[in-house]
Amino acid sequence: MTKQTFLHDTHVKLGAKMVDFAGWHMPVQYSSIIEEHKTVRNAVGIFDVSHMGEIIVSGEDSLPFLNKIVPQDISKLIDKKAVYCQLTNKNGGIIDDLIIYKLEEKKYLIIANASRIDEDLNWMVRNKAGFEVSIVNESHNYSLLAVQGPKTKALMQSLGVQELPEFFHIKRGELFNINVWISRTGYTGEDGVEILVRNEFSEYLWDKLMESGQEYGIKPIGLGARDTLRLEAALHLYGNDLDEDTTPIEAGLSWSVPKNKIDDYNGKQVIEEQLKNGGRKKLIGLKMLDRNIARHGYDVYYNNEKIGIVTSGGISPIRGDNIALAYIKPLDNLAVGSTIQILIRDKLHNAEIVKKPFVEKRNKENK
Amino acid sequence: MNENALCTKTHEYVLEQGKQYEVGITDYAIEQLGDIVFIELPEVDSEFAKDEVFATIESVKAASEIYMPISGKVVEINEQLVNSPELLNDESFEEKWLVKIESSADQVEFADLLDYSDYKEEME
Repeated sequence: MTKQTFLHDTHVKLGAKMVDFAGWHMPVQYSSIIEEHKTVRNAVGIFDVSHMGEIIVSGEDSLPFLNKIVPQDISKLIDKKAVYCQLTNKNGGIIDDLIIYKLEEKKYLIIANASRIDEDLNWMVRNKAGFEVSIVNESHNYSLLAVQGPKTKALMQSLGVQELPEFFHIKRGELFNINVWISRTGYTGEDGVEILVRNEFSEYLWDKLMESGQEYGIKPIGLGARDTLRLEAALHLYGNDLDEDTTPIEAGLSWSVPKNKIDDYNGKQVIEEQLKNGGRKKLIGLKMLDRNIARHGYDVYYNNEKIGIVTSGGISPIRGDNIALAYIKPLDNLAVGSTIQILIRDKLHNAEIVKKPFVEKRNKENK
Repeated sequence: MNENALCTKTHEYVLEQGKQYEVGITDYAIEQLGDIVFIELPEVDSEFAKDEVFATIESVKAASEIYMPISGKVVEINEQLVNSPELLNDESFEEKWLVKIESSADQVEFADLLDYSDYKEEME
């Protein structure tokens, strides 16, 4: 059965077009995807992302346990700091991509993708032998609201949150007398926060944020714009750009993988080998050289030979052109600036390899 | 939308205009697609059978194939829409036809098309 967030009726009242996504009935757009996209780039938008999973890992061995299941070094994670991680299998393939927050000593919060919560939990349980650790799925108790855009800081300050947490940090806070966790994270490439709140307060908090946000031009943003925003920022979407047959190195996530982690972790051998010699494929950014749109699943060609596949593609409302992420065979003569082709409705269309992200990220400016 | 248009269940319409027919997609389809960002139309003089794909319309989310409601030969394409696909979302813009065709379709080809009022009822 399709699940609903505690904000479902609110979305319907706002006139959202609802769709099924990862087992949830979610708003895809309220007005227009392009307008919503620009609202987040120019002002501030609010998203219901309560479908995301929240898992609490705690106990004596929580640190060594986490260090076994992700390539990142959790021992480096200081109190109230977050780190972008991948849950990897024995071959280095990505089971899910996660954000892990250190809430306090021996207590961590994991934010997981809605579609992967069950796989994540199964995998964690299979890996917990020998560790004194508790793994609790809190997803059904919490709602998650994302407030994203350059005016987020001003809005939050007007609500009494004078000191926002720094980029990729989390802090306890109070909004409208409701206890929340506020983290300086997001999936748009803009400055913004994600607010974790118990379900029973989510509707009240949403309404209050919408009301207070009016003067900053706040608008509700659906999953449609969430997708175009994350694509411009070249942020991966699990199921499109990441899967169990793709390693963090192949996905262009080497920056997130430490080179000298001492602890063993699932997939370490493959990942360390690929850190040295590269992967079987690599993720590239593309811009179309005509008006055609590359979409998920389209084939990539070079010299009339199929060399890869588009995993995410669409329009860039800010650049005004069409962009894509694609996996290709690592070929020495292809680099940023090279022209390759995308097969669209039986015709080859030129595309240029470009740097990622497609737009400048502005989330790290505001510490 | 013109009340005299005849519609398909796949959301195309055909409207008789003298010796020619206008072919396009319904207002309901436009509403469902949301922001339209790309339109690919066939060349003038190309011929299509009934139910054959003749155009592609892409919204932000996805590409949709557009089918010929009746058989015919393309005599004109709406270049304005090719150049500015977003006009399809503009309520004040009236020239929303995609192509004009000449057709010698018989009654059989029209048999499964719906009156606009019946189509609208079915979409509700």
